[in-house]
Amino acid sequence: MNAKATLKQTEIAIVGAGPAGVSAAITAAQAGAKVTLIDENANPGGQYFKQPTLDQPTQLPGNLGTNADKGAELISGLEHPGIELLTNTMVWGISEEDHHLKLYGRGESESLKADRIIFASGAYERLMPFQGWTLPGVMTAGGAQLMMKSQGILPGQKFLVAGTGPLLQLAAVQLLEAGGEVEAILELQSKKEFLLNATKLWGQWDKLGQGLANQKKLKASGVPIKYRHVITRALGDREVEGAVSSKIDSRGRICPRSEDVYELDTICISYGFLPATELPTIAGCEQFYDPAFGTYATKTNSDLETTVEGLFAIGECRGIGGVSVALIEGQLAGLIAAQQLGYDADQDETALRKQHSKARKSIENLGRLFSFDPGICDLVPDDVPICRCEGVTAGEVRESIRRGAWQLNHLKPWHRTGMGRCQGRMCGPILQKFIIHEAGLEPSTVEPFTARMPIKPLPMKAVADYTTEGGETTWEDHVGGYGVARTEL
Amino acid sequence: MSIMRIKGIDRGEPITIQVDGKEITAFAGESIAAAMMASGLRTTQMTKQGGSPRGYFCGMGACFDCIATVDGVDNVRTCNTPVHPGCEVETG
Repeated sequence: MNAKATLKQTEIAIVGAGPAGVSAAITAAQAGAKVTLIDENANPGGQYFKQPTLDQPTQLPGNLGTNADKGAELISGLEHPGIELLTNTMVWGISEEDHHLKLYGRGESESLKADRIIFASGAYERLMPFQGWTLPGVMTAGGAQLMMKSQGILPGQKFLVAGTGPLLQLAAVQLLEAGGEVEAILELQSKKEFLLNATKLWGQWDKLGQGLANQKKLKASGVPIKYRHVITRALGDREVEGAVSSKIDSRGRICPRSEDVYELDTICISYGFLPATELPTIAGCEQFYDPAFGTYATKTNSDLETTVEGLFAIGECRGIGGVSVALIEGQLAGLIAAQQLGYDADQDETALRKQHSKARKSIENLGRLFSFDPGICDLVPDDVPICRCEGVTAGEVRESIRRGAWQLNHLKPWHRTGMGRCQGRMCGPILQKFIIHEAGLEPSTVEPFTARMPIKPLPMKAVADYTTEGGETTWEDHVGGYGVARTEL
Repeated sequence: MSIMRIKGIDRGEPITIQVDGKEITAFAGESIAAAMMASGLRTTQMTKQGGSPRGYFCGMGACFDCIATVDGVDNVRTCNTPVHPGCEVETG
């Protein structure tokens, strides 16, 4: 038995240093609490406020650097004696009994006990598969943005941007500003649906303004936005060399003879976002179905406390809400957690609560901009792998659904979907759409995969170093039957 | 296909890393995936079952598609692992 995992103590632990986590840390520390803020990445900021990772000060062209600059301003508030920032550190688990966090970073294992925990774990991108979507050169739109924003690298030359939602147009504008060519944007929704949904953002002038500015730039650069079009195929043997798109009719079926073939090297896809809820789920926090975005998210009360006492959830993991919601929820949860520990903050709580409910309410309409009918699953041919890690195809999944696998956890033992390295982060939401569509179920009845520790693959050393008080914890206890923590150091 | 580093950014002095025995140029602070991309190398691994080529996909450490063997350690995510001088990457 070894006990190499150092045991640490803090008052408020915050998981995730994106907009929500950073603003929670600052608010709580200013109130006087001792805060530990943990993030897997090299820098705080999360995906939205992604900071350039180059050693030199980095000036990015166009609007690519705008969010980084705004983020840098917020992040500067972390220089507070009450805040300990742990970057390059993964929270890979949480004990169900006493809620201590299991950390691994920079080759060290740590165990962190906190009086309050705030989950600010952010979101993943929602995807839909197509032929050739595993080829190098296909990436998420968010991944393409990160390559530009954090690395200053344009991840291709000629791009196709496909999926649904306003992010596609923003990503295309950024690709242009970084010097790329964008052949087209393929938007699943019809122009009428898209514009009608956009009007639901009436009153959110910043969002509408940004959307209109993006459309203007795309028009000026001659980038067509092809509504009711989908990507059906990435061409190429070793990497992307082209793409095929099709028009779809109002019932989501491919229109005959509507194919367009593109010669290009990079395909960016995005179908919206999903809350990252692994840790609150493992901790026993109740999840709820958020119909606006068609996802499960972590349930909280108006204090942003989950159904487990002392644990809070903020930002995307309690329901997709965007950056403005994340910032306000960070402040509110930081304030309340500090108050619960007896600290008094110089903050107008009533005003904050008002701001919060207004921001959450207006965001519900944003969900419509990303929502789509699961019927588009029919466009995925049987031989296309849905599960990128284990190579499970659409045909295999359809067959199992016909045989009664109406939950993701039923598909798992049959196919190993969700048991590869991504642990279902990529395929889970796609499988959900497949089950809803093939079995004709209410979306809320299909639950996500059961989250298990370690929530991401780890070097075996990290888990082996880990011990709990008063008992031995073996590697098998943590990863039993899960088969992901296979890396040896 | 030549992928490019966005112009007008001061990147400091170049360093050298090895990918499958071949030297490529990188800059301090870049991720392995980024440095590889900037040299036109987009395949980071061939999958164990099926041998299908994979590369940078989600960019945020969630998908584990961009893994490679780095300095002898298997399954390292190249999207969030920074380069260092003399770093050896194998795409298998």
